[in-house]
Amino acid sequence: MAEAVSDLLAPPRRFPVLRRLARHRSFRVGFVIVLVLLLAAIFAPLLTGFDPTAMRARLRFRPPQAAYLFGTDNFGRDVFTRCLYGARLSLTIGFGVAVLSGVIGAAAGIASAQFRWLDGAMMRLMDGLMAFPAIILAIGLAAAMGPNIGSLIVALSVAYIPRTARIVRASALVVRELEFVDASRVAGASSLRIIVKHLLPNCMGPLLVQLTFVFAYAILAEAALSFLGIGPPPPAPSWGNIIAEGRDQAVEAWWIMFFPGMAISLATLGMNLLGDGLRDVLDPRLKVET
Amino acid sequence: MAEQGQTTLLLGAATLAAMLLAGDGAVAQKRGGSLVYANVSAVGTLDPQAAAAVVDLEAIHHIFEGLVEMGEDYGAKPMLASKVDISPDGRVFTFTLRKGVKFHNGKEMTVADVIASFERYKKVSPNAPALADVAAMEAPDPHTFVIKLNKPNSLFVEVMKTPTYSFAIIPAELKDQPGRELEPVGTGPFQVQEWRKDSHLILKRFDGYVADETAKGADGYAGKKTVYLDTIRYNSVPEANTRLAALQTGGADFIATIPGDLAKRLQGRSDIKVMSVIPFCQATFITHAKNPPMSTNRSLRQAIATLVDADEMMTAAGQVWERNPSLMFKPSYYFSEIGASWYDRHSVDKAKALLKQGGYAGEKVVLETNANYAYMRDSSQVLVEQMKAAGINIELKMVDWTTNQADLSKGTGGWNMTITGLCSGPLLGPQQWRLSLAFAQNADDPVVTEGYAKMFATTDPAERKKIWQGIEKYFIEEGYMMKVADIADLRGMNDKFVGIKPYYMQRFWDVWAK
Amino acid sequence: MKLRVLRRLVLRLGQAVPILLVVAVVTFFLMHLLPGDPAAIIAGPEAGAEAIEKIRHQLGLDRSLPEQLALWLFHLAQGDFGRSIVLNQSVLEALSERLPVTVSLTVVSFAITIPLGIVAGVLAARFRNTWLDSAVMFLALVGVSIPGFWVAILSVILFSVTLGWLPASGYAPLADGVRPWLLSLLQPAAMLALFQIGFLARMARSATLDVLDQDYIRTARAKGVSEWRTIAKHAFRNTLIPVVTATGIILSLLMGGSVVIEQVFALPGVGRLIVQAILTRDYPLVQGTLLVLAFMFVGINLLVDVIYTWVDPRVRYG
Repeated sequence: MAEAVSDLLAPPRRFPVLRRLARHRSFRVGFVIVLVLLLAAIFAPLLTGFDPTAMRARLRFRPPQAAYLFGTDNFGRDVFTRCLYGARLSLTIGFGVAVLSGVIGAAAGIASAQFRWLDGAMMRLMDGLMAFPAIILAIGLAAAMGPNIGSLIVALSVAYIPRTARIVRASALVVRELEFVDASRVAGASSLRIIVKHLLPNCMGPLLVQLTFVFAYAILAEAALSFLGIGPPPPAPSWGNIIAEGRDQAVEAWWIMFFPGMAISLATLGMNLLGDGLRDVLDPRLKVET
Repeated sequence: MAEQGQTTLLLGAATLAAMLLAGDGAVAQKRGGSLVYANVSAVGTLDPQAAAAVVDLEAIHHIFEGLVEMGEDYGAKPMLASKVDISPDGRVFTFTLRKGVKFHNGKEMTVADVIASFERYKKVSPNAPALADVAAMEAPDPHTFVIKLNKPNSLFVEVMKTPTYSFAIIPAELKDQPGRELEPVGTGPFQVQEWRKDSHLILKRFDGYVADETAKGADGYAGKKTVYLDTIRYNSVPEANTRLAALQTGGADFIATIPGDLAKRLQGRSDIKVMSVIPFCQATFITHAKNPPMSTNRSLRQAIATLVDADEMMTAAGQVWERNPSLMFKPSYYFSEIGASWYDRHSVDKAKALLKQGGYAGEKVVLETNANYAYMRDSSQVLVEQMKAAGINIELKMVDWTTNQADLSKGTGGWNMTITGLCSGPLLGPQQWRLSLAFAQNADDPVVTEGYAKMFATTDPAERKKIWQGIEKYFIEEGYMMKVADIADLRGMNDKFVGIKPYYMQRFWDVWAK
Repeated sequence: MKLRVLRRLVLRLGQAVPILLVVAVVTFFLMHLLPGDPAAIIAGPEAGAEAIEKIRHQLGLDRSLPEQLALWLFHLAQGDFGRSIVLNQSVLEALSERLPVTVSLTVVSFAITIPLGIVAGVLAARFRNTWLDSAVMFLALVGVSIPGFWVAILSVILFSVTLGWLPASGYAPLADGVRPWLLSLLQPAAMLALFQIGFLARMARSATLDVLDQDYIRTARAKGVSEWRTIAKHAFRNTLIPVVTATGIILSLLMGGSVVIEQVFALPGVGRLIVQAILTRDYPLVQGTLLVLAFMFVGINLLVDVIYTWVDPRVRYG
């Protein structure tokens, strides 16, 4: 098993990984979904002629039609446009949380594995943070730091750091005991060198898998926080706050709430499929079928 | 009615309400039945002297009563007192107590309980400053209560009718209970049966209730109250969709605060009625009179006031509303058109001219609002778009309601303007408005302090109205208060209950099941 | 062996102390960082600054932060979790009233989740790489991908309002009878189960596949024993392990899910209690509740550990 981890990411065999990913069905589906949403977010201004916050009172509550694909909301804003721009915010949050919690989680996990004297304190701290339900920690932090995207990303990252740290630590502990790592240690390699050369590359697989799931959770969490009134502040649209603002018209103007909800489900589904594929290919411990 | 200058409040006079009640006589009144009321949050405290939230107050006024209460027209009416005599100099108030009134514990109410209640009020109520000028409280006999002031206050009885921080009478033996932790024992027509904090409250009919038989019928929170229902259950259902679903499925008989757009869902249900309670609150933008740039640039304030577009804001919020330029509701004695020229001007061009005139150079303006109330959130968003169009450097700061409220009360948070719903001041008169004027953080302004001192000193209602108009004009013209509209609270009910009438805070006496 | 288990238990409990201390200190500072003021909330919007200050003093909020923290920890050490500012009741009393609701919700949602999740997972594994496998796994993935409150609001409109099958809101305690209790919880529990089933089915599938891959099962299969019998005999017991793991994880995630679901369905449970407490800055209530939850979190993990040794003889404490 341990050999598989190091083999997999050794340079000569790197391309086979990509090939296997490309052959993996759920990875392919997930990849296409995420790519489409990503492109929609990036090229939002080219895909719509409307301004996401411009209000036109005379165009309130238009049902979906050719001119307004997803209808219009209570301000007469185009819901399709808002979903496109909402993708920017929601995906930024997902990405930001994945990166931030990934970097800090990986640092904490690897430090714990490499510097054993740190391990006890670090893991107790992580256990402590983990004892908070993630969403509640995020509610508290988001409320404490004020309503903006940055604080939301930090809040959700803090909530997901402990799980990431544990996964990285577990992988690093396995790698640490491998012969070639032992050998370089005996040969006098510094801690930093061992971390950079061996631990980090070999933890990348499980880390990446975990981060796709964190990405998905973060998008869902953004929606839940918006529902509770502490999500990204309007008028800038996020998928979560479009739903939150549209829920007073859940039946009468169902389209306001329906389409961003679908977008969230689709994005989360895409990331989960992507994560499943990555896990099958990169993390053989969990691979059950080829 | 005291505002018309009488010095003695009449015994519960026949009111429009009492006449309306006769109209409900088509269905025979009978005892029995339980009503389930789903509200936006749970009852937090049943201490009448310390409570301020409408949800708490609605339940409290079924359990407790004061010497005077607000009537159907929101004026002061006698309740536990049968009359009030005011000395010509406006300093001595003599209340004649009704005899034989019983507390829920069976004890009869006497002047000792009244004095104990006022003593406790001074200790625990956030509104204790209202009693700051009390020189002495006396009990010449068990059914007479005399209160003497240091200086004249012709509006003192009006102050005492307040439903918020109610001057309710509690049994003397409870006078040492801390604020917000009072055992709920009062003289009201209902008593507490079961209370699960943060979940539900069940009130049951108090069979020992002694009604004011001299009154013709129920009159606001005063008059002759007759209870037919066995119990009222107050449930907390914060999510509006769920609240509405509860009414539609029979899980609730009465619900409060239906968003305007959601109310349409009830059309076509013959067994469900939607009641629009207006006047309810006033949506108003408030300026921080101490934070630059708005505090130092009058033209900037006026320019922003010029941008307010009542129709656009209220429509976006899906709010049921009415135009009203005044800081007072229309039925009020103090209502006037004095602010009309500044109301709903919605002109970007005029605003730009004013900005230029005031030398506005792009200084940042912070508008604080919250996402918890749709009309506050949506009005703010509309105003932000209009401010941008006029070239104002605006930052929208969306916080949660708790932060917004603390910042509003204390002037913290660095806001230049914010929006809130003003409810009791516009309803109850200038004495109540004083508390809300402080939101603009200029309660120390001579226009306010001197104005109120003069208002309290004069016994001439016309003169008082003139002084109030001066204050109102100042707040509107200076751009400290930017009135958007009078807004309604939509409430839904199952038509199996008869006698439910629109009122600022809902009442369930004189209500019976079909 | 029993002695070792016991020693391990004691050790784990000892480790819980620093965890709880971290929770306590983090919550304390987090809460006091929040803008807004509980005194302003309970005084009401019309109260003056003086009245608010008076309440702050009564609540001890005008003391320095370290002083407040020390005082709180001192009371905690004596088993006093404090008193809710907004609810005027002790934290433990408030919690003991809400806990039955959340526990009921959990029990009903697990009653839906566990059979469905396991069956879905085992079915998918048995028919691996067929359309059935793909369909089941896709549905499981959809389950973990949908925002809970969104589907809950839509569900209320469909099942309560349009069809009239289930109550829209509120909680009927068990004392009112099993039927109303179950009816009041069915819809919210199903919403929670949607996520949990997806989660569990995925774990159950891979666990079953793992077992089917084992040598002894291959042997059994080679000997002509039917695959269903193999699954029933060997694989099922082994799927219990991921079920235990998943249950542990779900239990710790549950509070997150129930926060939103309790809000939509107006259930007076612990999730709603905490959110309300955070939103009204009810410091002692948030601090106390989170600490009790952390206790339970540690307890659940411990329980999961113990159950492991019971269902999986390979796991040995050392």
